[in-house]
Amino acid sequence: MTRKASPTIALFPEASFGAALNCVGIAQALRARGARPVFICHAGFSGVFADYGFQEYQLPTDEPLSDSERQSYWQAFVRRHLPHFRLSPIDQLETYVAPTWQAIVDTSVNAEAPLRQLLARLKPDAVVLDNVIMFPAIAAAGCPWVRVVSCAETELPDAAVPPYLSGMGADDPQRAAFEARYLAASAPAHDRFNRFRADAGMAPLPKGLFLETSPDLNLLLTPTIVRRERIEPLDPDRFVYLEGCVRSEGPFEVPVFPRNSGPLVYVSFGSLGAMDVGLIERMLAVFDRLPARFIVNVGGLRDAYRAVPDNVYLDAWFPQPSVVAKSDLFIHHGGNNSFCEALRFGVPSLIMPYCWDGHDNARRAKETGTGDHIGRDAWTEGVLERAILGLLADDAMRARLKGNAARMALNPGTDVAAQAILSLIRT
Amino acid sequence: MQAAARRPRTNHLDLAQRILDVARQRGFEPGARLPEQQIASLCNVSRTPVRAALSLLAERGVVRWEADTGYHLAVDLATQPAIASELPVTEEDELADAILRDRSARRLDQTVTVAGLMRRYSAERKTVLKSLNKLTEENLLDRAPGQSWLFRRTPDDPEAQGESYEFRLLLEPAAILTPGFRLDGARAAALRQGMEALSALPDAAFDTREFQRLDIDFHGMIADGSANRFVADALSDHLRLRRLPGIYAGVNVFRLRQSLLEHLNILDHLESRQYEVAADLLRIHLRLSRNQRPQAASRGAPALFGMISRPE
Repeated sequence: MTRKASPTIALFPEASFGAALNCVGIAQALRARGARPVFICHAGFSGVFADYGFQEYQLPTDEPLSDSERQSYWQAFVRRHLPHFRLSPIDQLETYVAPTWQAIVDTSVNAEAPLRQLLARLKPDAVVLDNVIMFPAIAAAGCPWVRVVSCAETELPDAAVPPYLSGMGADDPQRAAFEARYLAASAPAHDRFNRFRADAGMAPLPKGLFLETSPDLNLLLTPTIVRRERIEPLDPDRFVYLEGCVRSEGPFEVPVFPRNSGPLVYVSFGSLGAMDVGLIERMLAVFDRLPARFIVNVGGLRDAYRAVPDNVYLDAWFPQPSVVAKSDLFIHHGGNNSFCEALRFGVPSLIMPYCWDGHDNARRAKETGTGDHIGRDAWTEGVLERAILGLLADDAMRARLKGNAARMALNPGTDVAAQAILSLIRT
Repeated sequence: MQAAARRPRTNHLDLAQRILDVARQRGFEPGARLPEQQIASLCNVSRTPVRAALSLLAERGVVRWEADTGYHLAVDLATQPAIASELPVTEEDELADAILRDRSARRLDQTVTVAGLMRRYSAERKTVLKSLNKLTEENLLDRAPGQSWLFRRTPDDPEAQGESYEFRLLLEPAAILTPGFRLDGARAAALRQGMEALSALPDAAFDTREFQRLDIDFHGMIADGSANRFVADALSDHLRLRRLPGIYAGVNVFRLRQSLLEHLNILDHLESRQYEVAADLLRIHLRLSRNQRPQAASRGAPALFGMISRPE
């Protein structure tokens, strides 16, 4: 039983930066061990992986949008969903979660034929799937496949773990009501997905689940400090917890601010969250009067802002891990990638979630003393100010997080993931 | 914006820079004499400002004064391309930089007034006017009616970046292919040395600012080498926009390293006068730099395919 000299590992992250960049971290560690990581990506992500030096294989798009169609699509998307992002998690079930599951099922259905062809051609030694839905082509690829659980740990249900996307505690009295509404809201998409699976020769999944665990290996991006006790512990042979999965980036030079003193706060709500210009404008007004410097990721919408305060710096993109490493506080949307980066560098999180696993991570940050959370809509200037200043002044939390970060650094999730993946491959 | 009296005058600084450019273009070696009269005629100025500029360079250790023979070059210009950046900046240069930085961060609106800038930077009227004139000369600003100025469009949003690459794809290869292209050998050698030194740094120490300087100088060298003055001028004006803050943000080190290798490969072919190959490689280099990146994506939301270009 010897390892192949240069096994091909096909990484297939969903079309989001969080998943894409987790996988870049794993791929960097695989490459350092002599493997050949390649990426299967949606057409719109072309270039993201090549930028890090990895071969990309695009899944073809049936009907690429023209520039103006794309613009219209996104304007409509934002107009439709921004109000939903201000709802409670349970009220998002019908308005956002249900249509999102339908769209996610579409991605699996549309990818099936080209993905089968691509995998047949690539003949990978393993496939790494970082997504929330199964692609039957992967199960049929004839090689081990790895599931990356890169949302909150709530993605894998357990009686002691709160329901996925609920933002609840495990023992919340409303738990049963949430679960019932979740199953009802997701049922149409779920039924459609199970029919698609049946057509592809796969067994149906239980209600509410769109992705099974892998029989080979499952990687959970859940650092010890936020890990949950489970009634039914996960089999350590198949389930490997990672202390985050942080890619290596180039250095970041902190810009000079006209008001250049005070702690450094990094603000990023992900690429979708950056579209909520109104929210960020309200926040800038608060930042203006605080004794701190703020670096704010505004995506491609810099021109939407005027009279930006002298202690604020806006830009379209940042080498996030390198920025977080120099920050004293990270305000984010609760995406697991952002949360893990904050933990990895010992930086408290102030989470303002708007959808999906952000709600779960927001709750978990508060529960574990790794940060705090406030609602995205129902905050006053005083609430935001107190939350920021409170976290910046919490020396005990900072000391605890720094100690934890040092432990995480000793056992990088990217290395553990790469070793676990390569251990699957035998010749 | 204080201490104006201690700052060198802009025209002396400009002249000091021109003297270095002339010395580099003519292949002056360390120790070479710099006769005031010869320098004055090469730079089309009188001896008095040349003396002041040489004195400024002597303060920086770039030239040295000897009682018998006058000024001599004290450094190897071919290996020290960054000397100009070490020269002290003037008050108006510093203010111009602050104005650009604050515009890039959207602390300033697209239209600015002299009075508004005087208040914001506690600066004198004449300093503000000099800064605005400098930015106007560099085609970054336009004079608007009244006492206001309007920032020109810069390639700092995806759409403008796309147009910038289209423009450069049209003109940069043409700059090489127009008969009469001349490579500045000393500048090329200095650039090669700088790019090789930067490539040798580990990722954690990679200096993006140094990359920006080398990148602009590399493409500027190609523009300056064009035998067609209008092509050279148009490209030089456009490349100046790449000096603005924020243009090089968001590019990872892997791509920057690739860019350096591509630059070196183009340089190899320029030096061996294989201009058609060099122009083709330049085209590929610009296309690779203008890769498509999504602007936004999330669970359930298909990727927003936008043009986010990276520096080359």
